[in-house]
Amino acid sequence: MSDRPRSALLYFACVTLVTAAGIATAMTFRPAFRHQVLDVLGLADVPQAAPGSFYTARVAPLFETRCNGCHGDKMDRGQLRLDSFALLMRGGKHGAVIAPGRVDGSELFRRITLPESDEQAMPPSGKPPLTKDDIIVIRLWIAAGASGALPVHAIKNAPKPVVEIEIPQSDPVQVHRQRAPLADVVRQLQVRFPGMLEYVSRDSADLEMNASLSGGTFGHAQLREFLPLQDRILRADLSGTAITDGAAPVLAAMTRLEVLRLANTKVAAATMQALAPLKSLRSVTVTGSAVPPAAVVALRQRGIVVYGSDDVR
Amino acid sequence: MSETIKTPTQFAQLQAQTRRQFLGWGMGGLGALYMNDAMAAPGHTLDLARNPSTPLSVLPPQIKSKVKRVIYLHMGGAPSQLELFDHKPMLARFHGKPAPEAFLKGKRFAFISGIPKLLGPMFPFHQAGQSGAWITDRLPHLEKSIDDLCFIKSMKTDQFNHAPAQLLVHTGDPRTGHASLGSWVTYGLGSENQNLPGFIVLISSGGITANAGKPLWGSGFLPSVYQGVQCRSAGEPVLYLDNPKGVSRAERRQVLDAVEQINRQTHREYGNPETVARIAQYEMAFRMQLEASEAMDIRREPQKVLERYGAQPGKTSYANNCLVARRLAERGVRFIQLYHWGWDSHGTPTDEGLNVGLVGRARETDQPTQALLADLKQRGLLEDTLVVWGGEFGRTPMWENRGGQEMAFIGRDHHPSCFTIWMAGGGVKAGLTHGETDEMGYEIVRNPVEVRDLHATMLYLLGFDHKKLNYPYQGLDQKLTGVKPARIVSEVLA
Repeated sequence: MSDRPRSALLYFACVTLVTAAGIATAMTFRPAFRHQVLDVLGLADVPQAAPGSFYTARVAPLFETRCNGCHGDKMDRGQLRLDSFALLMRGGKHGAVIAPGRVDGSELFRRITLPESDEQAMPPSGKPPLTKDDIIVIRLWIAAGASGALPVHAIKNAPKPVVEIEIPQSDPVQVHRQRAPLADVVRQLQVRFPGMLEYVSRDSADLEMNASLSGGTFGHAQLREFLPLQDRILRADLSGTAITDGAAPVLAAMTRLEVLRLANTKVAAATMQALAPLKSLRSVTVTGSAVPPAAVVALRQRGIVVYGSDDVR
Repeated sequence: MSETIKTPTQFAQLQAQTRRQFLGWGMGGLGALYMNDAMAAPGHTLDLARNPSTPLSVLPPQIKSKVKRVIYLHMGGAPSQLELFDHKPMLARFHGKPAPEAFLKGKRFAFISGIPKLLGPMFPFHQAGQSGAWITDRLPHLEKSIDDLCFIKSMKTDQFNHAPAQLLVHTGDPRTGHASLGSWVTYGLGSENQNLPGFIVLISSGGITANAGKPLWGSGFLPSVYQGVQCRSAGEPVLYLDNPKGVSRAERRQVLDAVEQINRQTHREYGNPETVARIAQYEMAFRMQLEASEAMDIRREPQKVLERYGAQPGKTSYANNCLVARRLAERGVRFIQLYHWGWDSHGTPTDEGLNVGLVGRARETDQPTQALLADLKQRGLLEDTLVVWGGEFGRTPMWENRGGQEMAFIGRDHHPSCFTIWMAGGGVKAGLTHGETDEMGYEIVRNPVEVRDLHATMLYLLGFDHKKLNYPYQGLDQKLTGVKPARIVSEVLA
C-alpha cells in the first residue's frame, strides 16, 4: 500500500524535473522567453516608454501598423517582438536589434533599409513597406539615443506625422434627440419650401437653407418664416431672391451663420453693418448686389472673406 | 397601396421594394440569425432610400461636407507631367542619352521597344506665385491662379492603356459596368436643382469623347437615373429634348399627361418602382426643356465675361464648356464633368507631338481653366466647389521610339507609375504640392497616391465615408473605391 504514494511522488518529481529542464533550455536558447520568465518572477528590469515620448507617439505606431503582425503577440518571427518598448529593446534570436545612438550598428535599421529584393529586407517583399519618412523617424530616434523617455518634441527635424482621418460613427438616437425640439418646424418648412431646407449632415441638428433657385418669389415674408430656426442655420444662400436691406434684422438674428450668399440681390451697406456681430461668419458673397466696397471693410478686418464687392480679376 | 401606411418615408420605402429585394432581405434575415451579430454591424451602409418619384431629391451628407459640388476637368489622352508641372532639371541634363537598364528591366511599355533615349523637358519651367510651385511657360494664364491649386505629383495607376485607365479614374475599376464618380455623388447627395440633371457631361475637342466612351459617365449598377447626361454648348443643349417641329408645349403636356395615366395604371397592376421612376423622368425632361436651354445659353453672359473665358457662342469649345460649367454650378448642378481629349503625345502624327499637339491643348485650355477658377472665386463659389484637373496616367521620361524607330515628332509613351493632377476649391490646401517623383521623373519617391485614395478623398470632401457609400450588386457591397484599402489623403486637406 505504501508503494502508491511513493510512486506518485516520484512521478511528480520527474515531471517537475523535466519541466524545469525544459524551461531552462528554453530560457537558454530563446532570449524572449527568458525575459518573459524573469518578468513573471519579477527579476527583470523592464524599461518602459513614457506616454508623450517620441517613441510612443512616433515610433511605436509604425511598428504597430507595419511590423507587429509577425513580430507581436500573435507571432514572434525570429523571436523578436516589437509590441512593447521592453520587448523591442531586448531584441530577438540573435540579440539586440537596436544600438542606442548608433544607427549603423542597429540590426533593425539595417533590415528596414535593405533593397526590397534582398531576402533579409523588412517588411518582406509584398508587405506594405515603411515609407521614406517612416525610416527617417526611426533613424532620428535611434540617433537620439533610442530612448523611451525623450519627449515627442525633442527631435525637431522629424518629418510631420501622418494623420489618418477617422470618420466618427454617428449615434442616431443622439441625433434624433438633438433634432426633436424643432423637428416639426423643420418638417413643415421642408414641405412648404421643397428643397430649400436640409440638415447639414446626417449626424447633426444644424441646418442649411438655399433659396437661390426660387428666384424672385422668395422675399422677406418667406425668410421670416425661417426665424424659429435662427440658432440652427449655418449656411444661407439667398442669391437672386427678392430680399433687400429690410431683411437685415432676420439675417442678424441667425447668430450661428457661417456662410451667407447674397449674390444678385438688392442688399446694400445696411445689411453688411447688421452682419458685424455674427461671431461664426466666415464668408459673405455680394457679387452683383448694391453693396459698395467701403461697406465691407469692417467685415474684412475681422477676417471674414467677402466675395464680389469689387471686381476681382 | 394599403391605407395603414402613414408616413411618406414608409410609403416610399414600400414603393421601392421589389420582390427580388424582399427575398434578398428574407435570406439576409435568416443569415443574420445564423451569423454573429458583429457581421450585421449597424451603420455599415448609408440609408439612401428615396421616394422613386423624386430620385434626385437632396439627401444630407453623412458628415458636414467641405464642398457641395464637383467640376472635374478630365484631360483625355494623358497630358505630360514632364512638360507641364513636374520640373526635372536632371532629366534635361541626360537628354539624348540611352535610358538606364533599371528603367527598362522587367517593364512593359505600350509602344517603346529596345533601348529608348531619355527626353529632357521640352519647355522652360519657373516657380510662380507665393507657393513657388513649378510650372511650364506654356500655361501663362493658369499661373495667375497657381496659389489656389493643390498639386499631387505622386498619382499612380495600374493601367497603361487609355480606356481602362480612364475607366479606373472615373469609375474606380478598369472594366466597364461600374458606377462613375458623378453617379455615386448624385446617388449619395441628390441634386439641388430638380429642373436640371444632377450630373452633366460636356465634351470639347471636336466632340471626341475619351477612349472609353460613355461608360465613363455611366451609372453601372446604380439606378440609371444617376448616369451623366451629355449636354452641348452649341445647338440643342440636350439631344432630342426639344419638341419636334409643329408640336407646342401645351400639346407636349397633353401627351405627357396621357402617358402618365397609362404608366400609373401599369404601376397599379405590376407595382414596379421603375415605372414611377419613368414618370418622374418624363416630368423632369419637360421641366428641363425650359431650364436647360437657359442654363446652357452663354449668349446671356456679358461680353466681358465671354472674353475672359475666350468663349464664342455657337461653337463647341473647352472655353464654352468652362463657362457653362460655372453657370451650372450656380444653378445647383451637383457634378459637372468636362472632357477635353488630345493629350496623347506619342510623337506619331503632328497633333500628337509634344512640340505641336500638347502646345495646342495647353493653349486651348489655359485661359478658360484660369477664367473658371477666378470666376468661381469672385462669385464665392470656389469655397464650396471642388475643381479637379487631370488625365488618366503620366508619360515616360523616355523619348518614344515606336517599333525601335525614331519618330517624326517628339513624344513620350504611356507611364502609369506617376502622374500629376491638381485640385482647387473647398477643403483643399491651396498652394500645396504633395508627393514627389525621382530626379528623372520615373518613379514616385514620396507619398504615393492611388486613384482610389483620390476617390476616397473626394468623397470625404463631399461628406462621405467611402466605405459606407455602397450599393449591393452581385453579392458584394460595391464601392467607388473597390475592395483594396483606400486612404483619405489628409495631407492635402485644409
